[in-house]
Amino acid sequence: MKKLKRFLLIAILLALLPGFIFAGGQKEKPKVTFFWALYDGLTEDFRASLQDAFMKANPDIDLDIVPVPWKNMHDKITTSLAGGNPPEISVIGTRWLLELMGMNAVDEVSKYVSKSTLDNIAPGAMEAKINGKLMGLPVAAGARIMAINSSITTFVPKTMEELRQEAIRVNNPPNVYGLIMPGKKHTELTDFAYYLLAAGGYFFEIKPDGSYGKCTVNSPAGVKALTFMNQLANVDKVVQKGYLSMNRMESHPVFYAGKAAYVFIGAWVESAMKQAKSNFKPIYAQIPPFKGNKSTPLIITDSIAFFKDAKNLKAAGKFIDFFYQDKWKAKFDELVGFPPVTISASKLPQFQTPLYKTLGEAALNAKGWPLMDGWAEYSDIIWDAVQNVFLQKQTPKEALDEAAAKIDKARGM
Amino acid sequence: MSSQAVVIKKSKLLNEEARLAYILLAPAVIVLVAFMFYPIIYVFLMSFFDTDKLGRLRSFAAFKNYKVLFQTKDFWTITGRSILWTVIGVTTKTLFGLIIALLLNIEYRGRKFARMLFIIPWASAVPISAMLWQWVYNPEFGLLNFTLQATGIWKNPPIWLGQPISAFFACMWVDIWIGIPFMSLVFLAGMQAIPNELYESAYIDGVNSFQKFFYITLPGITELIMIATLLSSLWTFNDFNVIYILTKGGPGGATDILITSVYKNGFEWLKFNIASVMAVVTFLILAIVSIVYAKIYFGRERK
Amino acid sequence: MKWRNRGKPFAIVVTILLLLFILFPFFVMLSTMLKSGQDVYTSPPFWFPKKVMWTNFIKVWTEYDLLGYFNSSLIIAIGATIFNTLLSVPAAYAVSRLRFPGRKTILYMFLVIQMFSPVIVVISLFKIIARIHLLDSYWSLIITDTVFTLAFTTWMMNGYFKSIPIEIEEAALIDGCTRVQTITKIMLPIAVPGLVTTMIYTFIYAWNEFLFALSFIQSKPKMPLTIGLYNFVGRWSTQWQYLTMSAFLALLPVLLLFYVIEKRLVAGLAGGAVKE
Repeated sequence: MKKLKRFLLIAILLALLPGFIFAGGQKEKPKVTFFWALYDGLTEDFRASLQDAFMKANPDIDLDIVPVPWKNMHDKITTSLAGGNPPEISVIGTRWLLELMGMNAVDEVSKYVSKSTLDNIAPGAMEAKINGKLMGLPVAAGARIMAINSSITTFVPKTMEELRQEAIRVNNPPNVYGLIMPGKKHTELTDFAYYLLAAGGYFFEIKPDGSYGKCTVNSPAGVKALTFMNQLANVDKVVQKGYLSMNRMESHPVFYAGKAAYVFIGAWVESAMKQAKSNFKPIYAQIPPFKGNKSTPLIITDSIAFFKDAKNLKAAGKFIDFFYQDKWKAKFDELVGFPPVTISASKLPQFQTPLYKTLGEAALNAKGWPLMDGWAEYSDIIWDAVQNVFLQKQTPKEALDEAAAKIDKARGM
Repeated sequence: MSSQAVVIKKSKLLNEEARLAYILLAPAVIVLVAFMFYPIIYVFLMSFFDTDKLGRLRSFAAFKNYKVLFQTKDFWTITGRSILWTVIGVTTKTLFGLIIALLLNIEYRGRKFARMLFIIPWASAVPISAMLWQWVYNPEFGLLNFTLQATGIWKNPPIWLGQPISAFFACMWVDIWIGIPFMSLVFLAGMQAIPNELYESAYIDGVNSFQKFFYITLPGITELIMIATLLSSLWTFNDFNVIYILTKGGPGGATDILITSVYKNGFEWLKFNIASVMAVVTFLILAIVSIVYAKIYFGRERK
Repeated sequence: MKWRNRGKPFAIVVTILLLLFILFPFFVMLSTMLKSGQDVYTSPPFWFPKKVMWTNFIKVWTEYDLLGYFNSSLIIAIGATIFNTLLSVPAAYAVSRLRFPGRKTILYMFLVIQMFSPVIVVISLFKIIARIHLLDSYWSLIITDTVFTLAFTTWMMNGYFKSIPIEIEEAALIDGCTRVQTITKIMLPIAVPGLVTTMIYTFIYAWNEFLFALSFIQSKPKMPLTIGLYNFVGRWSTQWQYLTMSAFLALLPVLLLFYVIEKRLVAGLAGGAVKE
């Protein structure tokens, strides 16, 4: 019995041990945790040297730059917030911001980041300014553009209709596809959005005071957009094989491999093509509008948010000031391929290429995601509508009517 | 030692027995209760409350969440699909497991190596395996369809994840694939414990292989099959990674099951109350299955 | 089982065919991990890399710090294995050998844990882990991995202990051994195969666990392999050659472990539920 008791005592002690060790708490330097989204092209080396350089310059602060895959970022933030233990700062999709504000989780950026850093941010990138308060510091902002494989065609379509004609002309599956269309759900609704905006539509009616009214995906513009997408995919069959089983991440490599004439894509196209060692020259142009409409690209921004419940926000602000110097931020932009959000960096020679020029133009007329609570669910509803049309289960009108009704109901309208 | 002494010792044992049992169980039970009691209770609580975006309880809602969910027709489709998913999954895993176990039970050179190779699907992480399969199924760069076509096995293979029915079975297969090694190992072990004399006497009686399997092997491992299929049912029902990585529940909702809906409602839409109701429904279904199993198991134990 | 000779070659052929079938994705892994970034994204695809990229092997170690991930995974997996054994062996002994009120309830209770997917409880677990100051520690994963493997290991050891004839133990008790002595000196040595089974099960579980690691680990040096592997999954494309290379390397320790203790493992799983 004695031996048994000793064994159990050890077992229980072992179970409690970690508590003793950690409960003691090391109250030394303030620690800043930063959830660092793993953009394609970012190297581990860059992350590590940024972390080291900051700690060297600020020996009184402990910095942890935690690499988090994009796919898991939303989960990780949700868990840590719900668990009452958020990081000081994190990269977020700006579209999550309203949801985070609904949780009362984020704090104003200007409280912690110096004025000189904020003054250096391009005003157009300040998507996260809500009711006059900057709730997320832009970290990457990029409008979407069209890339053309010049070894298949050099024709730059001015309208969607022209694009379709040319796509049909060059289409020669399985060797060459007219254009890339991701048909599998991914977290963003980008592809429907391109066509919707090109048809002059938007997701919601925008009231004079800037608030969102009823869902308008089933407007004539919405129906036109989805009908057109369905036509490309199922009637003309000019999209890549198995498009319904491929999301953005799976379908774009078909373009990098030189097998598709057109793709709607973002700033990362150049670094991704470099990684895939593509052997053709791309042409960059605006995503064309439908005939009679104005060019309206989609712009997507990511931000850095400060979480209220974290302890060392002041120190985190210090880090952001450090990071947003050209020395680091411009290097970051270069690696991930996004046009800089800072004024000083955008003047640097490496950001004067045709790609950046096209991106810059696109940004002028671009629209972003609706900034609203619950967008994740609504975009999922629209995704289902798009897929149902692709699967011929519903007509575009039926599917979008149903989606709009569902969304309005969910928003209590 | 006299038999009387044994009896005395035994009765003394009985007095000590319960106390000893509790002491021995204490560490495991303490850890389980410390870490699982609150999470499980909280799931039940959330299902009866309105929750905010962080899963905090706001106001008591009684059965409102249940009503809301039970009235959506998707919910019943999804529940039905989860059951179908589990039944097909566990049955196929068991069948494959049995066949492979029978094969690995034969003595030949290189058997040890073959056993190790069969373990591979189990030995790598589920999310990674699912990603690997996504790559295999890829219609453009994937080697599966390429190989099927190049070897002429299947001239016109489907786009596996692109159509509702093929997507369901393609996901199903990945789940099965991951689960096979565990099953075959458990069964193999069971077969090795069956005394050889049974087979030898059968051989003398001129019994054929099928009869041997049904009259000797299968009864010998019935209990193992029970435990393994029970655990496998619980795991299969709750397997979230495979579907989420391969199809995200699509196309057109064709591969959505309860656990993927739980994830979608909870982590993506932050509707923790609805996610909790689904979790509770999952629990009830699995509890019924377990109770039935356990009844049979404890029933056999008494014999 | 003894097969008559004419059956054996047939069985071996079937085994090989089945292996080819089951290991198909593994062959894809082998093919992809030695390709260059360009070869990976070539359509139509091909099996044999045009140029075998051994540099992929070097790159995952040097540029991505695979060693650090391996180290964390080893600590977590070994820790969980030990911790699980310390808890499950006494518990299994109690439910298999001793009669006491609530025995079945306890066995049910272990099963209940398996009815809740980690997805469902992860946030609540996070709160507990944060409360006891275990966030970003190996212990957080060692404990949760233990909790989620206890059901299997306890049920399995329960079955195993039962298969040991009670007479052996009684004889020892009569000879004046204490309970503890019978457990440590008699039961455990006989039960080694069962022990090995449950240990490798826990090891594989902890080695491959993903969701808890993603949630609880907050600093780079403590991240395990599964998280490290995900770093090759970008936002816009996946670096398949590195992902498959690291996944292959992550597989090796588990296969090695299995190969070394295969004999015991199989014998162990056998004892699990077969009673005399």
